[in-house]
Amino acid sequence: MRFILLDRVLELESGKNITAVKAVSLAEEYLADHFPDFPVLPGVMMLEALVQTAATLVRVTNNFEQSMVILQEARNVKYKSFVKPGNLLTLKIEAKKIDNDSSTFKASAFVEDTPMIEARLKLKHYNLADNDRTLKKNDLQIIEAMKNNARLVGAIT
Amino acid sequence: MRWIWIDKFTEFESGKRAVAVKSITLAEEHLHDHFPGYPVMPNSLLTEAMAQTGGILVGEAKDFKEKVILAKISKATFYEVARPGTQITLEAVVENIAKEAASIKGTIRCGDICIAEIAMMFSHIDQNMGGLDFPDDNFVFNDNFMSLLDTYNINTSK
Amino acid sequence: MPMSQEDITGKVQEALIEALGVDDDEATLEATLIDDLGAESIDFLDIIFRLEKAFDIKIAREELFPGDDVISNADFIVDGKVTQAGIDEMKKQLPHLDLSDFESDPDVNKIPDLFTVKMIVDFINSKIN
Repeated sequence: MRFILLDRVLELESGKNITAVKAVSLAEEYLADHFPDFPVLPGVMMLEALVQTAATLVRVTNNFEQSMVILQEARNVKYKSFVKPGNLLTLKIEAKKIDNDSSTFKASAFVEDTPMIEARLKLKHYNLADNDRTLKKNDLQIIEAMKNNARLVGAIT
Repeated sequence: MRWIWIDKFTEFESGKRAVAVKSITLAEEHLHDHFPGYPVMPNSLLTEAMAQTGGILVGEAKDFKEKVILAKISKATFYEVARPGTQITLEAVVENIAKEAASIKGTIRCGDICIAEIAMMFSHIDQNMGGLDFPDDNFVFNDNFMSLLDTYNINTSK
Repeated sequence: MPMSQEDITGKVQEALIEALGVDDDEATLEATLIDDLGAESIDFLDIIFRLEKAFDIKIAREELFPGDDVISNADFIVDGKVTQAGIDEMKKQLPHLDLSDFESDPDVNKIPDLFTVKMIVDFINSKIN
């Protein structure tokens, strides 16, 4: 299983917002455990989809300068309904601010018009080399991989 | 990828508090995407590990009769990353258990260091989710899962 | 010792701000929980848990918010309006609700407007003083 929780970027405005889609399919192995008789996208996977979408916006806005773009804080994350295999989950992220080392967002996701989750997110961004210069190569490896992912989902050409 | 984010319970006080551990290993596929060259456990999955620790704690308090579903993450703060070759310890403490919902506060440690603090709420969806469609049987604490609980080593002290 | 209206209001606002993630200046007395502050089902329970902790009291959900048995009862709601029987039931279950305006136009869609910050302050006041 690949840990990529967005499939396609629909809209991206650097520094401002991003809309993407995650398709949910029975082909995703973990659904067999969640739950055996009632496969639904785990809430934290919805959260991860929002985080990865927001991170994509950060990377594009900051020109892929930082390798590590991760969730620092999530607040008032509310789950409203079940996302099922066969659904397309539309992820909408609005940036409140994007700085070099941190960013904050209002995030939500829908299946068609039905809201599934809303959250406030704070991400932090840094390079491993900031703390350990020997990790510069690791930063470059991550950045290259993230650029590839961004191309794959249409965030950049 | 299995959807089991804790390995066993080390402490379990029914209705009050539970401590679980999870080992992080490069054998876990998703680490190779997160991130290539510097694998760290995704913070969303740290959250799920806490949700499973707390969800079982809250579920056991009602004899696993309720369908316990993660409904709200009030606040989750992540201080440090968790890396392969380490073990994290998750402590969940019950704050409230009501008929319709429950809330817990959790701390995740790696060695002596606190790497995350998470406050979350679970809904007992039979009592509190009007309009949602779901099976009558308890799909949350299903047979698969209940047999796993044996290996979770829950020694309840009621 | 009875708590002042100001102290109660301050603690209620704090509980709402934490539960709903709204800004300090949004939780005014007139603000409605559902429309203005975005409260949903799980939030009502979150609010109750926080109020219980803040005021060291026990609150059953039906004491503060009407149960589904009122909203979905056919005797209480007819043609989108709450009947007198329904209004009487609401008065019985939720004595802290100010129904004076509502009674003149008991539109079921207006029920959410009754749940204001002030309503909670009044409820806490009646509970602890």
